[in-house]
Amino acid sequence: MTEFSDDALALITTLKMAGVTTFFLMLIGTPLAWFLAKMKSRSKVFIEALVALPLVLPPTVLGFYLLIAFSPQHLPGQLWQEFTGQQLAFSFSALVIGSIFYSLPFVVQPLQKAFEQLGTDYLEAAAMLKAGPIDRFFSIVFPMTKASFITAASLGFAHTVGEFGVVLMIGGNIPGETRVLSIALFDHVEAFNYSQAHSLAFGLIIASLLLLSAIYLLNHKPLKINNNIEQS
Amino acid sequence: MNTLTLAIQSTNHSFPFTVNQRLSFSGIVGVFGHSGSGKTTLLRSIAGLNEKISGSIVFNDKTLFDSHSKLNMSAETRNISIVFQEPRLFPHLTVEQNLDFAVKRCTNSQLNKKDIIELTGISSLLQKNIHKLSGGEQQKVALARAVLSEPSLLLLDEPLSALDRKSKKELINLLKVVHKKLKLPMIYVSHSSEELQQLAEQLIVLEQGEVRNIGNIHQIIHQLNDTQLINQQTSLTVTVEEINHQHGLVQLRFENQKIYMSLEQLAVRHKKEHTQHKLRCYIFASDISIATKEPTSSSIVNQLKATIADIKLDHSQVLVSLKCQEQEFFASISTYSLDKLSLSIDQDVYIQFKASAVRTLTF
Repeated sequence: MTEFSDDALALITTLKMAGVTTFFLMLIGTPLAWFLAKMKSRSKVFIEALVALPLVLPPTVLGFYLLIAFSPQHLPGQLWQEFTGQQLAFSFSALVIGSIFYSLPFVVQPLQKAFEQLGTDYLEAAAMLKAGPIDRFFSIVFPMTKASFITAASLGFAHTVGEFGVVLMIGGNIPGETRVLSIALFDHVEAFNYSQAHSLAFGLIIASLLLLSAIYLLNHKPLKINNNIEQS
Repeated sequence: MNTLTLAIQSTNHSFPFTVNQRLSFSGIVGVFGHSGSGKTTLLRSIAGLNEKISGSIVFNDKTLFDSHSKLNMSAETRNISIVFQEPRLFPHLTVEQNLDFAVKRCTNSQLNKKDIIELTGISSLLQKNIHKLSGGEQQKVALARAVLSEPSLLLLDEPLSALDRKSKKELINLLKVVHKKLKLPMIYVSHSSEELQQLAEQLIVLEQGEVRNIGNIHQIIHQLNDTQLINQQTSLTVTVEEINHQHGLVQLRFENQKIYMSLEQLAVRHKKEHTQHKLRCYIFASDISIATKEPTSSSIVNQLKATIADIKLDHSQVLVSLKCQEQEFFASISTYSLDKLSLSIDQDVYIQFKASAVRTLTF
């Protein structure tokens, strides 16, 4: 019963972490993707590579450097402690920050592609109808690339739920704070508690499958919209 | 009268783009030029969509752009609208929502949406998805949308180039009606002298980023006869006098001369309504022949007495300009005919052309 409530707590922490991370990912990822889509300078390649880095690096590498940066001995950790009065390493906030770095390419890449495909024609047409930049974003860009926003948010959320290496390094396994599902599963396996591990692992597989199916289902619609864009 | 003062240079061209011109909008201003001549650069500069320019743009005493004082009004604040070559209707909105997009953002609304919908003839399309519309319908909606944003200047960037001839005729009539009813200053850009001849009062010819000619539409088209830019032609405004259904002919008048045009040139539903209306026509120089004696027994319906004003040799062809009262005509004949008829300047001759040679895109 205790283990069950521990797992339930880990599930809540995971969902909370993934939810908060996704919110910030969209907030940061959207302007970044827009900037990259419009950027013509050669340094674009470097920024793109930087954003994509978590796709190829072992998560523990990112986790290791974040752990160092978050420690009170280094500037980011020091600043955090100064402003919040709390230590950054081994906190929920550390998990969220780490997850933002870790899942950034999953949000930036689909959005950047969508913005590039959208082009400038419709935005110019909207400007000539007196729509300013923010108006254009909400009345043209967002509705025409809505499916990509849903894809980006879903992938960012799903990828954050599935992370292990980064949270292992910077999380600290504190129940209700930093103990997430992937860590809970690892604990069960280490304790040879295979039945509990099975139920967690199988639950994660089903939930991820459902989420990804929903994304792919949604992705059939944007294809139609994009075709229309090309035809018109 | 509305005026637009341009003193601009653009740097995003393979050749220097320089336009220094003051335009007065007594009617539609046409801009003619071939691909790459700088037409679109000019339009985009006026609209505020071309960042790579220097100089100044002033419309009715309001400075839209001045690189010297670093003033650059953004496109959305210039109160200028464009109908682009491709309609650019927003695909996630219906026809009516596309119109509403313009209406909602128009701060000082004077026009009634319903009136514009009726004027442009798009009432039956309002609830349709934009990709269910034909090319002509899409351009009509784009025009209605641009008009509903109530701009102080409307720019048209080759809006008919992708349309078939029937849709072109419809849109040209519509543009004329919109211009007449709303008194909206318009600049119409095209590489088609045929379209411009129907719409514009003044014509600017751009070549290699510079203004080559500017002036009255008929005069400029006649000036272009000496170039390779257009098909050599006579451009004239006539009055529709009478429609002869029995023979399928339309009687037209210029000064006190009568000429005939084939009735097929007019769209069916307008055949009755348009007598006494002004009509822009053109006759290709290759369709006009010259006789030194009055042709009394010819099947060709149009025969006019004229005086040769000029003869220009161009390889084996000759472009003969003729004056019929104040109207200029242009005939392209072979050097063989020139020699055979021994034509000379100031000689009185007869010009002939078939009714089917008189062409128009209006009605």
